[in-house]
Amino acid sequence: MHLVHFAATRALASSAVFLFITVLLMATAKRISTCIVLFSAQCAIITAEILAMAYVHRSSEAYAVAALVLIVKVLAIPYALFRIVKDLQAPGDITASTTAAQSVFIAAGLILLSFFAVEPYSETLRVDTGMLAAAIALVLSGAFLMVSRKKALAQVIGLLVLENGIFLAALTTTFGMPLVVEIGIFFDLLMGVFLMGLFVFRIRDTFEHLDVSKLRRLRG
Amino acid sequence: MIWLSVGQVLLLVAIAPLVRGVIARLKARIQNRCGASVWRPYADLVKLFRKEDLVPPSASIVFRFAPMIVFAATVTAAAFVPALHGSALLGATGDFILFVYLLALSRFFLSLGAMDGGSSFGGMGASREALVSALAEVPLLLGLVAVAILARTATLAGIVQWTVRQDFTQISAVHALAFAALALVAIAETGRIPVDNPTTHLELTMIHEAMVLEYSGPSLALIEWASAVKLSLLLALLIGVFAPWGMAGGISVAALVLATLVFLLKVFVLALAIAVVESSIAKLRMYLVPDFLGVASALAILAVVFTALMR
Amino acid sequence: MIQTLFDAFLIGLLCIPAVILAGGRRRSIRVLASALLLIGLLAGTAVAGVSFWRGDRLAIDLSQLTPLPFSVAVDRLSAFFLLLICGVGAAVTLFSYAYVEHHYTGRRRDWLWALLPLFLLSMMLVVTASTAFAFLFGWELMTLFSAGLIVIDGDSEQRRHSLYVYLLMMHAGAAAVAAGFLLFLPNAAGLSFASMRTAAALMPAGLRTAIFLLAFIGFGAKAGIIPLHIWLPKAHPIAPSPVSALMSGVMLKTAVYGFVRFGFDFLGAGPDWWGYLVLAAGAVSGVLGVLYAIAEHDLKRLLAYHSVENIGIIYLGLGAALVFRAHNAPVWVALALLAALLHTLNHGLFKSLLFLGAGAVSHAAHTLDIEELGGLLKRMRTTGAAFLVACCSIIGLPIFNGFISEWLTFRSFLAGSALGSMPASVVLPLMAGVLALIGGLAAACFAKVYGVAFLGRPRSAQADHAQEVPFAMRASMVLLAVPCVVIGIAPGFVLRPLSAALQQFLPGTVLPEEAVSIAGVMPWIAAAVLALVFTATAIRRVTRITPTWACGLPGLDSRMQYTSTSFSKPLRRVFSQVYKPDRTLEILPADRPYFPTAISYRSVRTTSFEKSLYRPAVEAIVGTAHRLRRLQTGNIQVYLLYIFMALVALLVFMRFA
Repeated sequence: MHLVHFAATRALASSAVFLFITVLLMATAKRISTCIVLFSAQCAIITAEILAMAYVHRSSEAYAVAALVLIVKVLAIPYALFRIVKDLQAPGDITASTTAAQSVFIAAGLILLSFFAVEPYSETLRVDTGMLAAAIALVLSGAFLMVSRKKALAQVIGLLVLENGIFLAALTTTFGMPLVVEIGIFFDLLMGVFLMGLFVFRIRDTFEHLDVSKLRRLRG
Repeated sequence: MIWLSVGQVLLLVAIAPLVRGVIARLKARIQNRCGASVWRPYADLVKLFRKEDLVPPSASIVFRFAPMIVFAATVTAAAFVPALHGSALLGATGDFILFVYLLALSRFFLSLGAMDGGSSFGGMGASREALVSALAEVPLLLGLVAVAILARTATLAGIVQWTVRQDFTQISAVHALAFAALALVAIAETGRIPVDNPTTHLELTMIHEAMVLEYSGPSLALIEWASAVKLSLLLALLIGVFAPWGMAGGISVAALVLATLVFLLKVFVLALAIAVVESSIAKLRMYLVPDFLGVASALAILAVVFTALMR
Repeated sequence: MIQTLFDAFLIGLLCIPAVILAGGRRRSIRVLASALLLIGLLAGTAVAGVSFWRGDRLAIDLSQLTPLPFSVAVDRLSAFFLLLICGVGAAVTLFSYAYVEHHYTGRRRDWLWALLPLFLLSMMLVVTASTAFAFLFGWELMTLFSAGLIVIDGDSEQRRHSLYVYLLMMHAGAAAVAAGFLLFLPNAAGLSFASMRTAAALMPAGLRTAIFLLAFIGFGAKAGIIPLHIWLPKAHPIAPSPVSALMSGVMLKTAVYGFVRFGFDFLGAGPDWWGYLVLAAGAVSGVLGVLYAIAEHDLKRLLAYHSVENIGIIYLGLGAALVFRAHNAPVWVALALLAALLHTLNHGLFKSLLFLGAGAVSHAAHTLDIEELGGLLKRMRTTGAAFLVACCSIIGLPIFNGFISEWLTFRSFLAGSALGSMPASVVLPLMAGVLALIGGLAAACFAKVYGVAFLGRPRSAQADHAQEVPFAMRASMVLLAVPCVVIGIAPGFVLRPLSAALQQFLPGTVLPEEAVSIAGVMPWIAAAVLALVFTATAIRRVTRITPTWACGLPGLDSRMQYTSTSFSKPLRRVFSQVYKPDRTLEILPADRPYFPTAISYRSVRTTSFEKSLYRPAVEAIVGTAHRLRRLQTGNIQVYLLYIFMALVALLVFMRFA
């Protein structure tokens, strides 16, 4: 029991660090498949965190949320994305409009920005600064990934990272939303990924590639 | 005590060729080849020391002395890094800045020796080396600065002793970021894939090999040995600063033997990591190397900033 | 005793020009004069050295004799700078003895020998002045004499323009410095340094900030911090080599002296943004200076840009000291100041050595374009060895002096994390990264300079026929190279008196033992490196000379070597944002691009500062002047109208004010 308690407190204390690392790695990633693996790892970290929270606060509902995250985000969505990548038979690189070094600098800047932004709130809300900062950093870097990546699939991953951030923010500030709402969100998310997957196929079939910057031609 | 410190330096210098041999062997195994013996680098050194020294007609005294200075500076740098015990020969007063600049001394003279040959290869290698090392200096120093700030001391021995006292599970963002930065720098500084290919002899890609092209015999042996020492030094640095647990606490034979075994095991793990990386990714295009080092710089800067944030 | 020697030395130096100009063209007079100058400077070195190590105070007060408050006094800080001026001056005099005889004749030679002591004297006046009048007098004379020395070297449109830019920047700087002094007046009884010091404590914060900013700009123009650096790469290449050595090695340091006097002696602790401003100036100057230097292949221009870089490093130390001072951490102020002042000394030594080396190269090979040099080490052993020492020093490699001061700067940055307040504890450690970048790029640049100019095979017939320079020139270079190595191996003997000199501004601070541990460890490092090199020489080896590998083809020649341009290409490409060259490719005739008769390619690099800062400013001033010309009608009634309007305006103003 002592060991479990220790693991739980360590998970709560260091998950922010690991989340930052996934964000930075995603900024350097050059291939879609790397991004997907990183996303899956990110969700696994969040799962560990929810489990730790569930243990510390003795909430059975949180265990259910953790299970949901594990199934949907760690396993199902990455699996679906890998399937899409495989079926598309398109080149696996993500064609970023910034170089890897620039992306890391920007991501680092976003992390620092989120630290400065949450500083006043973490006092009043009495939550861990690192945790809340990690949530905001996920939202910002997700948005940044969507802005700077040209391939449609990379943008989908950016959106998923952004959603992770919102989820984490809700988790740290209010210890999660009611279970029903959570389930609804996950279902939405799953549907969203499938819909986007469909769109990606349509884009590929229409334009012979996935570079959304070429969609400008639609202006007519 | 002093003999222990001298022994540490000798160990680092002596096992350096072995580390290279092990990496080459592991790489061969991963690539489904047999590979040469892990002792082959020693045989190479012995053979080179016996051969005659070929000198180009244009070469001056710099060409002759450069390999010796390269070797001397690198071995002196080895006196700063604790490997078996939380102390080093010059560890109490010599800090990481001195360590980094001793490596710079060796690099500068290697470049000069390369340009003294009077061929275009030497200049080519020196020019590329100048680019890589100028950009690698920033993450190397900043990564060490971040760790030094946490440990509140600038001597490498002090940093190692501080880390030993910490709990392994108390992982901080600073350590993770600094480790990533320093690992990238170690790859760039020692000329491993993806920055440089130690086995290539194609003028389009080579950096280190182009610099030593005019050298032969004992001079080449000294340079090759020095670069092997540099590799094992940087590995020992990574081990000492980020995972020193297992170092001998006191000075007893049993503790030292155990510490040596643990140290060799850690070096083997890092060698395996290098072999896996070198077998799985391709060498970067020359002008992507600044990007690679830019990532390292960003990580190092973030590590330094986090030392103040995480207070 | 010391006081008498000091008086005698100043009077002796004043007499030399008169002797030269009165003595006519006789060679014996010139030899006598240069010997006198050398002896005088050595005496001055001794005086300055003694009062620096022992802390004696010397003073000469001429206020009674002259109608103006003119007095000089030597405290430890002044003695330190005096030591630098006299020591480097002595070496440069020795060099000039051989150099001037070969390169100048007639009146030009006489003027050179007359102006050189005066130039040295004016710099000494600046660092020893103890009233504002004496300081400004010396400051202006220093500019004029150096300009005079530049004029000696010849005349052309280009040179006149460069000289004009130099004088303009210098006078703008001098105006700012003078304004800084005058702002003390409302509170100070007079403009002696002592009364200014007491007045500063009573001044309001706004006024002190104004004085600080004026000093920053005024001394910055002299020191050559970016963007006030544009005169440096113009003035240095056109001056005679010994004069450039003095200008870069010593004259720039008087600006550092002035800034330290103002920032740390007169003005008390200020807000911390003073420090950040100086840090930013230092970081920008350091990085851009070395990047501009990398792209150069004219040896003197390259060295001039390196002066910008090294002034940047000095300013980094000064900025860190100001930040520490604002946070009330006197121990670290002392460390950072120590770093800046030691780097001032070191830069004085190795930069004048580099410029003298450039002079020796141009003497031997008749060119300063490093693309035309090569293989000089084999032909000029002493010069080559001294130049190598200077290269290692300027990069900051261990066991050479540049490393000691850079190490101290690094340590003071590292100490910034201990302050615990937010911007400082992040900004200062990050500056260590900037310093590391500067060091790495400088190493690249000097690997290029030394590798291309001194190693490999000669790239032109002139370089091939180069011969070692006369004894006096070699001796002067060795004289400068020795302290570079000595300070690098045993820095303790300079660090101790220098930290004692800082007691003047920071009474009662003792440097932490850990921070000056470098003095203890450097001899061991040097011993270890030398012992290992010695051991390695003992290896049995059979040497055979064989042609350089040319991929199996015959006829490898010097054109196949890497040039300076190709060496710096990767770095120029990575930092292309800094250079932004104007490239034009002309193919003639234009209508037949594939069968051209002539192709011309030109790449002009004007620094972005000239393009985006100075040119618009100059255009704005000229434009305003043109518009103001409309006031000049030439009609007398209009002028009367102006007077009338001024009267009316004054009356109205007096009524409401």
